[in-house]
Amino acid sequence: MKISFLLHNAYGIGGTITTTFNLAQALAERHTVEIVSVLRHRERPNFTLDPRVSLRPLVDLRQEKEHPAHLRPARVFPAAEYRYHQYSELTDERIGACLADLDADVVIGTRPGLNVHLALQAPQRVARVGQEHLTLDNHPPRLRTALRRAYRRLDVLTTVTEADAAAYRRKMRLPGVRVEALPNSVPDPVLPPADGDAKLVIAAGRLVPVKRYDLLIEAFARVAAEHPDWQLRVYGKGEEHDRLRALIERLGLSDNVFLMGPAAPMEAEWVKGSIGAAASNFEPFGMTLVEAMRCGLPVVSTDCPHGPGEIIKDGVDGRLVPVGDAAAFGEALLELVRDDERRRRMGRAALENARRFAPGPVVRQAERLLEEACEARRTGRPVTRDRDPVGRVLTGRGHAARDAVYATGSSALRTIRKARR
Amino acid sequence: MTTDHATDPRTACTVERDGRITFALRLPPADPGGRLLLRLRPKKGGTEHLRHLLALDTAVDGHRTAVLPAGTVLAEGRWDVHLVDGPDGGHRRVRPGPRDLRALVDGHTRDRAAPVAVRIPYVTKDGFLAVRAWLRDAHAETRRVRAAEGALTAAARLHGTEFGPGAAVRLRLRGTRTERLVTPRVADDRRDFTFAVALADLVADADPGAGQRFWDVSVRPAEAAPWVRLARLLDDVADRKHIHVQPAALVGDTAVRPYYTVDNDLSVTVTPAG
Repeated sequence: MKISFLLHNAYGIGGTITTTFNLAQALAERHTVEIVSVLRHRERPNFTLDPRVSLRPLVDLRQEKEHPAHLRPARVFPAAEYRYHQYSELTDERIGACLADLDADVVIGTRPGLNVHLALQAPQRVARVGQEHLTLDNHPPRLRTALRRAYRRLDVLTTVTEADAAAYRRKMRLPGVRVEALPNSVPDPVLPPADGDAKLVIAAGRLVPVKRYDLLIEAFARVAAEHPDWQLRVYGKGEEHDRLRALIERLGLSDNVFLMGPAAPMEAEWVKGSIGAAASNFEPFGMTLVEAMRCGLPVVSTDCPHGPGEIIKDGVDGRLVPVGDAAAFGEALLELVRDDERRRRMGRAALENARRFAPGPVVRQAERLLEEACEARRTGRPVTRDRDPVGRVLTGRGHAARDAVYATGSSALRTIRKARR
Repeated sequence: MTTDHATDPRTACTVERDGRITFALRLPPADPGGRLLLRLRPKKGGTEHLRHLLALDTAVDGHRTAVLPAGTVLAEGRWDVHLVDGPDGGHRRVRPGPRDLRALVDGHTRDRAAPVAVRIPYVTKDGFLAVRAWLRDAHAETRRVRAAEGALTAAARLHGTEFGPGAAVRLRLRGTRTERLVTPRVADDRRDFTFAVALADLVADADPGAGQRFWDVSVRPAEAAPWVRLARLLDDVADRKHIHVQPAALVGDTAVRPYYTVDNDLSVTVTPAG
């Protein structure tokens, strides 16, 4: 197969970029694969890309930031999408032209707005696969309404968790679209796993409020008070950096908690530690949890929607603690800090249990889905067989109506607010 | 110089506790020659190029390895890693593969003999592999530093030497002969020590409008011994300036903040308001 991925920005750092690179590279063993990056802001990607995968940017912000068409708002890319402000008439045009000329059997979108582009603009002969790395329940109603219309024109929609796939099947009416959970894969580590001896807790991700690094640092204060020789290292960058630094200073943790800056890849950092940590309020998948486990670290995570509960087996290969509870999180960390044998045992279990996220099984599933999508395009028959069409239509309509009401309501509110100004 | 990122040579490396570094490169099997070159980046204005050449062993499972033994002395500084594989000794800089530095993480828990040598492989700003090296006759590793409640306090441990009579801690105002001397409190093992300096002493006698000032911190283990710089070198962090950040304390409107320099040495900044 000839496979094209459509990605927001291949030159940044983040879970979607990592997982798209991983999948593209694995597929490149047997297929012709390219990644189309809508935006580009630097010479090279942060992650090294296998030379067998070609990379094609559409808008180069280093030259085209002030392009007149880039200063006008997008019309195809949905206004309710999170990254709408980064899209423009220029991205609309370039993505449209790219799709019109696409020499591929299947095109894969990697975020809602790009899925809308390919649903509306991919040529008839090209199979359309939308990937959702976020979750339906967290999309604003206006976005859900826009997606409900567009996603009917996809062949396959993948989510990263079973919970989210169930939400799409229950709440969206997508006749003829196959909805399936396809977890992110993490490549086989090249370094030997961690041995569990280091007095080091590691966390990684963008420094944004939803990741709750503030809660993690507060929780770690309990660890440092009882075990001052333990460290917490937080890898990543983002808007929370200065606030987190201030919190570390206020709690007197300057010699125990370190903001390490971004690291890509993370593998050589994970193996230095003996516990992984994630305190998010919300985690569509939880890529860093799997990365840490594949390096032999048990992970302490909040039991937030949706990913952690499908990744960690509580008490076996990690701990799941209630969202937003610094005391419980600190206690769960301390359990593992105090008990060397338990920590090592759970680390070995993590290594074993995380094998299901190895590229092998995940890529085989992706390949099957892509082949089915291509087959559906060729024969004109949908990929899915709906077992309970009537019931699903009815519940789907109920959710559609509710979102439409919210959407109208919120746009009416905006109109009122505007009128007041 | 532009290079093709995808085709540049790339090497993994593993560091042992004693500082021995093993490099592992994936090279075309048709290319049996080749050596690794470590070259010291010359100091600003300098031209001297110290070099070490390392032989590449024959391939094992597709990788060729080169070893920098613990006993090889690297002068203090930044050593760029090159692959020498041209017909006339031409060389190219090497990209970093996985760097397994886990053996260094708890390096501060092990006592070092003189001279104290530390090497940490790291990635340069332009994306190549280099080795950061320190080489000191003796070393004082800081453990805890604080500016709070009117005093700068610190705890540290000597490596490669021990305390005798006449020990002193010195803060010297950078670029001047102005000094503050205090006596350290030394532990029974003659290696651990603590000291305190009044923050007011670091703020006093500044010319109005003098701007930011820097105090560099050293310790003299005994009366006639050479001064030893306080630093934090004994782990896997090559550049700690922006990672290991200490809070500032205020003396009036003036902020006093202990910090680690680009060489991971301990200094103190004094920043007047405005």
